Amino acid sequence: MTIALQVLISGLAAGGVYGLFAAGHSLIYRLTGIVNFAFGDLVGLGIFATLLVLAGTSPVTQAGAHEPRFLLALVVGLACCVGASAATYFGLVQPYLGRGSTIGWVAGTVAVAFAIRAAIGAVFQRSSYVFPDPLPFHRVGRAGFVGIGGAQVQARAFFVIGLALALALGSAWLLERTRFGRALRAVADDGEGARIVGVPVDLFVGLAFGLVGALAMLAAIAAAPGEAVSANTGTLLGLKGLVAALAVRFGPPLYAFVAGLVLGVVEAAIANVHLGGWQLGPAYREVLPLLFVLLFISVWPSREALEERE
Amino acid sequence: MTAAALARTTGAELRRAAGEARGAWSPAAWVAAVALAIGLLVPFLGLGLRMDALASTVYLAVAATGLGLTVGAAGLPSLGAGAFVAIGAFTSALLMARAGWPLEPAALCGALAALAAGLISGGVVRLRPAFVAVSTWLLAWLVWLFLFAFPSVSGGSQGLIVPERTLLGLSATPTVHYEAALVLLVLSLLAIAAVRRGAFGLELSALRQHPPLATSLGVPLARRRLGAFAASAAIAGLAGGLSVQLAAVADPAAYDPFLSFKLLVAVLLGGAAATLGPAVGVAALGLIGLVSDPLARLLQLPLERFDTAVAAFLLLFVLALGGDGIIPWLSPWLPRFRRTRPPVTPRQGGRSGTRAALKVEGLTKAFGGVVALDGLSLELAPGETAALVGPNGSGKTTALRLISGAMQPDGGRVLFGGRDLTEAPTRERVRLGVARTLQTTSAFTELTALEDVLVGRSVRRRYGGGIRTALATPRARAEEPVARAAALNALALVGLEQQADVPIPELTSSQRRLVGLASALATEPHVLLVDEPAAGVGAEELEPLARVLAEIGRQGVAVLLVEHNLRLVRMAAERMIVLAAGEVVAEGTVAEVGESELVRQAYLGAQRL
Repeated sequence: MTIALQVLISGLAAGGVYGLFAAGHSLIYRLTGIVNFAFGDLVGLGIFATLLVLAGTSPVTQAGAHEPRFLLALVVGLACCVGASAATYFGLVQPYLGRGSTIGWVAGTVAVAFAIRAAIGAVFQRSSYVFPDPLPFHRVGRAGFVGIGGAQVQARAFFVIGLALALALGSAWLLERTRFGRALRAVADDGEGARIVGVPVDLFVGLAFGLVGALAMLAAIAAAPGEAVSANTGTLLGLKGLVAALAVRFGPPLYAFVAGLVLGVVEAAIANVHLGGWQLGPAYREVLPLLFVLLFISVWPSREALEERE
Repeated sequence: MTAAALARTTGAELRRAAGEARGAWSPAAWVAAVALAIGLLVPFLGLGLRMDALASTVYLAVAATGLGLTVGAAGLPSLGAGAFVAIGAFTSALLMARAGWPLEPAALCGALAALAAGLISGGVVRLRPAFVAVSTWLLAWLVWLFLFAFPSVSGGSQGLIVPERTLLGLSATPTVHYEAALVLLVLSLLAIAAVRRGAFGLELSALRQHPPLATSLGVPLARRRLGAFAASAAIAGLAGGLSVQLAAVADPAAYDPFLSFKLLVAVLLGGAAATLGPAVGVAALGLIGLVSDPLARLLQLPLERFDTAVAAFLLLFVLALGGDGIIPWLSPWLPRFRRTRPPVTPRQGGRSGTRAALKVEGLTKAFGGVVALDGLSLELAPGETAALVGPNGSGKTTALRLISGAMQPDGGRVLFGGRDLTEAPTRERVRLGVARTLQTTSAFTELTALEDVLVGRSVRRRYGGGIRTALATPRARAEEPVARAAALNALALVGLEQQADVPIPELTSSQRRLVGLASALATEPHVLLVDEPAAGVGAEELEPLARVLAEIGRQGVAVLLVEHNLRLVRMAAERMIVLAAGEVVAEGTVAEVGESELVRQAYLGAQRL
């Protein structure tokens, strides 16, 4: 019971971040029919831009994040992430969508992903970094851990879960209630139709690329001080978001968010749960969900994923 | 067969092959032979090159050449080629390090393991290219994460130490590896060039350009693409299995998804459209590395990061320039070595064999709640031309799709010559003799008219598989002129034999329609389902079209014609079936139905027959 609670809460915290990535992948797919392979790395770019402003490239300790400085860093990081995401869309996705060239946007977004990884690696040459924590979680409970029902859980986990939920519900509200959101849904339904009735499709889709990047980045930064960050952090988060979005076949963004939450819990369970003497262990944590989704899309592809018949 | 007879036939076959080889020997072959000789001599010229780096570059070129088949010929953007290299490398390394195997069988097992992985993950070839990219991307990460998560397999961060071995009886020094890799590269280039030029390559190209059209002509989409995907995987696995011994250590870090990316960059940089492109791309990456590596050291940047950045920016550069790659850019300046094909004469005479009747019973199909076809029954006698007419949305095209197997009915049966075809896949129906043309003016726009029609020969080839094409077996070669003659015959039937070598984009839209008709005819159908051949055809072109349809009927082919243009129907068809809201409302000779005031007013509007 104790372990179950621990798995659930830490899993939901990780899953909340995955969920925002999944929702982003899903929204982008529904808007454009493409998968942004650079999504995770674009967010990684934002995270490391924040870190650069906050602490330079030196190894950092948990202390040393003054609030004004942190806010400035966050704004710079968000600007980098949003700007680079929108630039990726306008420069490398939209031109090839018009031409119907799949290889063009696939190669373009993958090239952006590796270019960002290389740039981060060139500036931040250590294998991993500690992200400074602006919020005093280490003062909560015992050195940042609180006991619930006998389980020891990071206090940060609750903050991450709450923030992820708030961001997910907020963006759901945005899609549902605002003019911008309604326009995006129109584009997802029928891009040509939306263009004809006067929706500035390219501008709005470019904005959506930036917006999903910003949302995912906020959640990733909230969770970042909990563990070491490296150039792989963004990439792997993007990958897990993709796994969750594929598990719901690029369904509505809110479904994808829930799939992300589930993925987080499943990963935590794979790593920690013993059933009698039988345990999978941490080695299987990342491999199994990936394998499952790969089999899922190749054995039971959705009608949309299948090659066009006519 | 006695040994003597076998020896005689083998001898004759070899002499014939030698004769053909002499005939095909061209300036291009001289250039290639000289380049190969220089390549083989490089280690002995005392140029002071690092042979280990050179050998591993050539192995990379082998893997990239294999990937060219998937990316270029099949048009599938694979982001997981490195995963197959890794599978080959670790299988081979484990067999050598843990079981003490020699290099050659270990590398072969590596290739087999990669082939198996390619076949297992091969379900993805049924997907759209975008989803192929997604799933191969997942595969690349899966293999890499697996290697890190299971140090018991991969040796962890130190990797697996691979012991010294011999290669083909020689101590496996970098020079020996280099020579072996070069021979492997040449063999894979030859095999892939043969495949791309042969029937298999033509069908892959058709599937890449227009999947629905290729499928409707009976080209097996999943089988052909899986063949290309698995062959790429096996070649990558073999390159990985051999090169891991050269590296002396199987280090998981060397097989991260960047390897897959680098292979894709090489393919696109060199030019996916050309067989030689990927190898040229690897060479270009290597040459750029000669410049960029000292630069990285000068700037004190980590080398592997710098390589990643260089590859990524090169790819963005290639994409910005249109994405064709080096070989296609150079091709205007390269001397043309045109192969002249022996002229083919159309086969004379009609086709023989029993003619069967098509019978459709109670076909029903609904889309969501909308009933498109409600219990359609019709019969088509051998050699008869019947027209299926009716207003838009009355279910005509749906009927053709159900009969041809592009779609499964909710109820009812399709019978042909007494066989129940309701469940049969399209290829099986085309093979038995039920072919269809598509409604749109569709043809494979990168091909010539004759090549386009040759796609329709898919179901009639017996030796057109990938392995036979790659090895250019006598039967596969003997089949080629037969197929070309039949295709030319089909083109002659629609009156386009003069346009055989004209590229499709240079034909008029009604000529393209006729090419589509010829492609369907090339499948040697007994029943031809023709979907609106007159749409967008000028009034003066109707009569030639009607003549073509009449000629097809005279050859004994039954035609079911879906058409809006009633002039064409009157000229071409004997019988008429009127469909409205998914049901047959009138049936009879063209004259009878034309007389029926009810039908004319309700369904044909005011137009007079």
